[in-house]
Amino acid sequence: MDWRKSVITNGNRPPGRPLPRGVVDRFWQEAAALREVQGSLRDLFRRWGYSEYIPPTFEYAETLSTGAGAPLEEQMYRFFDRDGKMLALRPDMTIPTARLVGSKLFDQPFPQRFFYTGPVFRYNEPLAGLQREFYQAGVELIGVEGAEGDGEVLALAVAALRALGLENFRIVLGQMRFFRGLLQALQLDRRDEEALRLALDRKSDPALQALVDAWGISGRAREALMRLPRLHGANGVLRAAEEVVLNAQMQEALDNLRAIERVLDAYGVTRYVTLDLAEVRGMDYYTGITFEGFVPGLGVALLSGGRYDDLVGKFGPAHPAVGFAITLERALRAREAQNVPAVRWAPDVIVGGCVTAAGVSAVQAARDAGVRVAWYYRAEAQEEVWAHATAVGATWAVWCEGDYAWLWREGEAQQVPLEAWVQVVLDREAGA
Amino acid sequence: MAEERIRIALAKGRLEQDARGVLTAAGLLARENGAANRALIVPGAEPWLEFLLAKPADVPVYVEHGVADLGIVGLDVLREGNYDVYEPMLLPFGHCRLSVAVPRDRVDAYHSLRLHPNPRVATKYPNLALQFFHARGVSPEIIPLSGSVELGPLVGLADVIVDLVQTGRTLRENGLVEVRVIMESQAVLIANRASYRLKEERVGEVIRRLRAAIEMSE
Repeated sequence: MDWRKSVITNGNRPPGRPLPRGVVDRFWQEAAALREVQGSLRDLFRRWGYSEYIPPTFEYAETLSTGAGAPLEEQMYRFFDRDGKMLALRPDMTIPTARLVGSKLFDQPFPQRFFYTGPVFRYNEPLAGLQREFYQAGVELIGVEGAEGDGEVLALAVAALRALGLENFRIVLGQMRFFRGLLQALQLDRRDEEALRLALDRKSDPALQALVDAWGISGRAREALMRLPRLHGANGVLRAAEEVVLNAQMQEALDNLRAIERVLDAYGVTRYVTLDLAEVRGMDYYTGITFEGFVPGLGVALLSGGRYDDLVGKFGPAHPAVGFAITLERALRAREAQNVPAVRWAPDVIVGGCVTAAGVSAVQAARDAGVRVAWYYRAEAQEEVWAHATAVGATWAVWCEGDYAWLWREGEAQQVPLEAWVQVVLDREAGA
Repeated sequence: MAEERIRIALAKGRLEQDARGVLTAAGLLARENGAANRALIVPGAEPWLEFLLAKPADVPVYVEHGVADLGIVGLDVLREGNYDVYEPMLLPFGHCRLSVAVPRDRVDAYHSLRLHPNPRVATKYPNLALQFFHARGVSPEIIPLSGSVELGPLVGLADVIVDLVQTGRTLRENGLVEVRVIMESQAVLIANRASYRLKEERVGEVIRRLRAAIEMSE
């Protein structure tokens, strides 16, 4: 072969069709893996008594804005309906769920439990597998306040990450009310509150120190603020936090976390959860606990959630709610990083030249037994079938000759009676 | 999980020597791995530690993606991008400021920046420059350059520049005068959000040792 030709002319490749930024084609391995994790999460959520909610892909922008915090609202895809009304693609699944419960299911028995899995849409810069269209799977538990609901959802988050085949993950748990109580005690104006939130969100001791000095905060409030960044880790956080409590709201936050600890202990999942009372992300959305899930090998959070008791009330009668969502693209990256075995997406068997009554009945028998079988019609010789099987990543190939079939696997072919190849494949796959 | 490995990204160039000094004093970087070594991955003084030498603007990228757990970079570079990383500690070197400078004979004209509807601004910091002017209701024409920004006004490419000023010598030599400070900068230790949680002990140890070394030298 002339190497120059193959490198430079690029064969007969047709001109490419560009895709807009932020969307991807999912096929082969990607599609199979995504459906696999969706399937295992769906099974898990059902077993915990959650039922599926399939929200519309787009709805009135105003409805979605009602529930979204400022950062999320900025990231919404908006467009006009034919009648001039502004629409938006759903930026998450929580807001539609809150709308559903608040505006339609308010007089139905509570608690209500929903799970969802599907794509959401945000203008964001792609990071760690997260495109502008990305897949989420998650749950919302509506109508249970306090530690029982928090604990159930946290335990389910742990179960979900385990169902994905992940290990050594950690869920970092914060309580927004602790920080809110501190803000209440400090009596800052909005701008200073935001500066403080930013310093804590960056875990910047120097910035915190500078603010405390500039505002001239002293006494117990100063101590509470300066100790806040240390209030994280697996052990002794609550005890240390008790020492800096300034008011009832901060105390309630700690009582809630203690009660959650007991629930998690009952589930036997405390070792996955660590506390961080300086976690202040999503403050305009969450009203109680907040949490994020991290996995070794992935530099970003793949799961996030929390309690949002004010959201359902924006669409109807108020109900407490708590939930989480997993970003599936990140879950797939994490599975790769942790060497979770890849899902097989190609057919198991390629069959050539058997389109006879006996040949078809063998193929159908294999399919009924759960083997994935695809025809290759064009073959004139068995070598062509072997080559095609290799090219598409199939494990087996079959070539019919009269009453016999040649069964090929990993470069070696054996002759068996025509309908016997099915049993050979089944025996071998069962062993593997 | 005691045997966690920690990788620290170091910004090459302006901050490198001081960063190596502090890391060596903290017993994190062996002395023989001096600046003469051209390797991009340098083993640390502890078996669980290694260093990655990167262009300054790439340091927060490595850390945000988690391929480096920690990084040492200037605040100027960090704020120019929008990176989701923790900033647990400031380091006492690399002090400088990001400033607006104009040619000496135009200082009076730029007494009030807001009176110029669309100045041409040459800079290596297009985002910070844009934010600064936008906040004052001015819509600048940003001319992104990757070096020798001082040249901009000299050759008529730009009216003003936004650049780092350390001693002010480069500005003076090119007939430029600083008229505004956009931000004060210095070196900062940044941490990946996941590493900060998953490798809490080691990250904490690095921070403690750096802090001790800095206090010793003060």
